[in-house]
Amino acid sequence: MAFLQAVIDGLMIGGVYAVISIGLTLVFGVMGIVNFAQAEFLTLGMFVAFFAWKYLGIDPLVGSLISFVLIFGLGVLVQMTIIQRVLNAPPVAQIFVTVGLLIVIENLSLIAFGSDFRSVTTSYQTSALRLGPLFISVPYLAAFCMSLLSGLALWLFTNKTWYGRAMRATAQDPMAAHLMGINADRMRQIAFGLGVGMTAFGGAVILPYFTVHPTVGHQFVVLMFTVVVLGGLGSVAGAVVGGLVVGVIQSVSTLFFPIQLQNLVLFLVFITVLAVRPTGLIGAAR
Amino acid sequence: MSESKGHKTLSACRANRPESGFMPSGFMPSRRSVLAAGAATLAMPYLSRVSYAAGKDVNVGVVVPLSGANAQFGVNSRNGIELVADQINAAGGIKALGGAKINLVIADSTSTPTSAATVGQRLIAQNDVVAILGAYASSLTLALSEATERRGIPLMTMSFSDQITGRGFKNVFQIISKASTLGEAQLKGTAEIAQKGGETLKTIAIMYEDTAYGSSQAAGLRTTAKALGITVAMDEAYPLGITDVTPLINKLRAANAQAVFPASYLNDGLQIIRTMRQQGIKLPVIGGAGGYVIPDFKKALGDYAENVMSIAPGNYDQDPSLTDAFKKRYGYFMVHEALEHAVCLDVLAKALEKAGKADPNAVRETLHSTRFEGGWCNAMTGRAVKFDETGLNTLAKPLMVQWRGDNLVTVWPDEYAKGKAIWAGA
Repeated sequence: MAFLQAVIDGLMIGGVYAVISIGLTLVFGVMGIVNFAQAEFLTLGMFVAFFAWKYLGIDPLVGSLISFVLIFGLGVLVQMTIIQRVLNAPPVAQIFVTVGLLIVIENLSLIAFGSDFRSVTTSYQTSALRLGPLFISVPYLAAFCMSLLSGLALWLFTNKTWYGRAMRATAQDPMAAHLMGINADRMRQIAFGLGVGMTAFGGAVILPYFTVHPTVGHQFVVLMFTVVVLGGLGSVAGAVVGGLVVGVIQSVSTLFFPIQLQNLVLFLVFITVLAVRPTGLIGAAR
Repeated sequence: MSESKGHKTLSACRANRPESGFMPSGFMPSRRSVLAAGAATLAMPYLSRVSYAAGKDVNVGVVVPLSGANAQFGVNSRNGIELVADQINAAGGIKALGGAKINLVIADSTSTPTSAATVGQRLIAQNDVVAILGAYASSLTLALSEATERRGIPLMTMSFSDQITGRGFKNVFQIISKASTLGEAQLKGTAEIAQKGGETLKTIAIMYEDTAYGSSQAAGLRTTAKALGITVAMDEAYPLGITDVTPLINKLRAANAQAVFPASYLNDGLQIIRTMRQQGIKLPVIGGAGGYVIPDFKKALGDYAENVMSIAPGNYDQDPSLTDAFKKRYGYFMVHEALEHAVCLDVLAKALEKAGKADPNAVRETLHSTRFEGGWCNAMTGRAVKFDETGLNTLAKPLMVQWRGDNLVTVWPDEYAKGKAIWAGA
């Protein structure tokens, strides 16, 4: 029973890991850029949802949509003004730019919001569903469902709409896509906006159980990269599988080892998977 | 999920990229990458100077976390220090030094030990500081104390860890009781309060963040439990910056303890209380100071904070005539880290008065040999400060506080209590 409980908890938290990591993998898949500043957009998304709750009284789960829209817009701007310039630059320059972006966003939010920890109060944040001996935390469940919905929405967008197909075409072969009349730059803007928007959305839905402060991104950045690399860099399905796997490993490992070691277990599994399948769980066949 | 099929394409683009990934074979540092590196260096932890009148000011270094996970506590600490610096300067500075003003040199230690040591070194090398105050978190203070010890600069701290004054260092001064003493008092106080509430404490649960602070406090709890014959049904460390506390609470539920002793900062503390409430666990919670004794705890938890107890090395209700000035200036009660840092600076000023010169060696000797009384010392439980040869303030005694509405009330021991303890799960 304890095992089942651990698996449920792991899946719930893993769903959130998945949605915040989808953005990272999307940006890499379409543009080939590893965005080290990705976790900062999670922080920004949390702040947007926090202020929407504080000043407009909007529940963070609804506020997550505002987060998505605003950060999507910001992402498009960042892509147009900054990322676009380094698309063909050496990878090391790309790293500098995104790491620089990380430092700038973090310090700007420290200046703007101060270093306070902020936390929302909602009616459901201290409630849980009981299924016999099992507990399902309501804020976790809500975050999980929102993650699921957003994943579904992204899938519909990329597979069922012209824009989505055009974006995938650009990822596959920018030149050919261009020849077919697709504006590749526009597609990259959408991809980057979507990528950071998804992460911001993920930040907003965890607000009912997590506090926000300007450096909260640090707590997630390593997890995000683990999820994405474990699943296979560039693969959205991989991020979903990776997120769930990471969540479950973290949770189940605490049954057998001290909680202190949960990340050790995670990284042992991580190294083993990469040794056996260097492309990740759902990596592309070469 | 059928997503996998549709998205294979996204990753296919990698096939066109160089296998090596980050480092292309013909890498040359470009103008851009050099600029970016420069910008990154500029954005590193900054030093800010608060300048008062020019001349023979006394430079006092302040190293506290102003960013990162412990930033809030660093800001509180800085506020307390600035309050006292302004009070001293407004009253005419250090008279023995011809009215020299206290000039605070404040540096951000961030929340990582390596930068705490680095900025400490920078203050000593470049700012000619007579002493350093900081760095709130034990892990930061331990790193910082290596730097101050090497250079012979007195370091005054309110960090808890036993190791701070347990290494035979000559230049470190711990103004509060060390963690093992706090842990001991935490359990003894709780046992007494439980007894008065009609319950005999037999089984407890301990959970702590695995940094210097949490580990030493847990050690104190453990030893005391053994001495008092109390069973520790759960004894679990968890990593700093934990993102999911559910496993902890699952273990707590299975442990069947009568009370839980979490030692954590704010974010993990809030998660712990909320998840406990979700699962309907109504145990008395006795926090280990840190995140349990700041206004944000109450702000975030609302009614769930009521009656949560905590150990603390000091509390603002011990001398409101001093601490009200803080509330008036900053708008929230004087949290213990602000209070104790304030005492540190006041004691330092008194030592400067007595030594008659702004010299680290003279200050260190005066700190070691003097019993300090009056002023902010009245806000401490001992009503005075006296450091032993290890640098520990032997007069400090821990107390226990409990949340009542927006206030923290001292409830134990009786000699310091301002209200009656309530033995109940929140």
